[in-house]
Amino acid sequence: MSERRTEDQTPSGVEEILRVRSAEGPVERKSPGPTAWFDVRRRGTGHFAFSLNRITGLGLVFYLYLHLAVLSQLLGGEAAWNGFLETATTPLFLGLDVLLVFGLLAHGLNGLRVALIGSGFVPNRQKALFYTLMTFGAILLIYSAIHVFTAEG
Amino acid sequence: MQAPAQDPRAPTGEPNRSRTWRWTALTGVALLLLVTIHMVAHHFVVEAVGGLRTYQHVLDYIANPVIFVIESIFLVVITIHAMLGLRSVLFDFGLSDRHKQLVSKGLVGLGVVTVAYGFVLIGVLASRA
Repeated sequence: MSERRTEDQTPSGVEEILRVRSAEGPVERKSPGPTAWFDVRRRGTGHFAFSLNRITGLGLVFYLYLHLAVLSQLLGGEAAWNGFLETATTPLFLGLDVLLVFGLLAHGLNGLRVALIGSGFVPNRQKALFYTLMTFGAILLIYSAIHVFTAEG
Repeated sequence: MQAPAQDPRAPTGEPNRSRTWRWTALTGVALLLLVTIHMVAHHFVVEAVGGLRTYQHVLDYIANPVIFVIESIFLVVITIHAMLGLRSVLFDFGLSDRHKQLVSKGLVGLGVVTVAYGFVLIGVLASRA
């Protein structure tokens, strides 16, 4: 670990980072690692979409295990579940539900774009498809948020 | 712009895509359908209870054979997709081949444990209905 840090601090390490940051072409050639997801300098829509997919994906994996943990409350019987329901209907948790829907829509629709273009089913119109699907997602998100906050009994 | 490399096993003209990429895309598309069913059935249909089911609602719901099968498929597909996604993220760290193998095996193990626990959860709840 310390050996690698020393290597990165040498002039050649800095030059390598500067070289990959300024390189033309697919995002993966520019990215020295996950820290590059948050580096928005001289990046286009493709990099933003790539980073959004990675970050929302990690969030959804975290939620998968959180969801399994929450559902485990059901094993504790009706009293345990009802106790959880009281917490789950507070405004804070409803807000987190909306955040979950955002993650699902952003990751799902962006992933659909990647799958359609990558498999050759649609022409390579990355930017147009990204903005179209994200607009559709924003409409669904607004509908879902209204539903979450108004359907609560 | 450089043309995409060709997979020697693929028909002429098909872009080079690894087996991992194909599985990620396939499970991802399946999840669009399964997540929609899951979210609508759980949170949008039951207006009377504010989109959240009571304990008995959950038991009755999961005991339905059709729902049981759909939820089981959902569990398997989402776990495969999640593990493949985690694998891609971890590989972004520039791991050696040996570490890549270790990560792959570890994620297979984590996936198996996740699916097993999910099946136990679904099975126990269905049996209580």
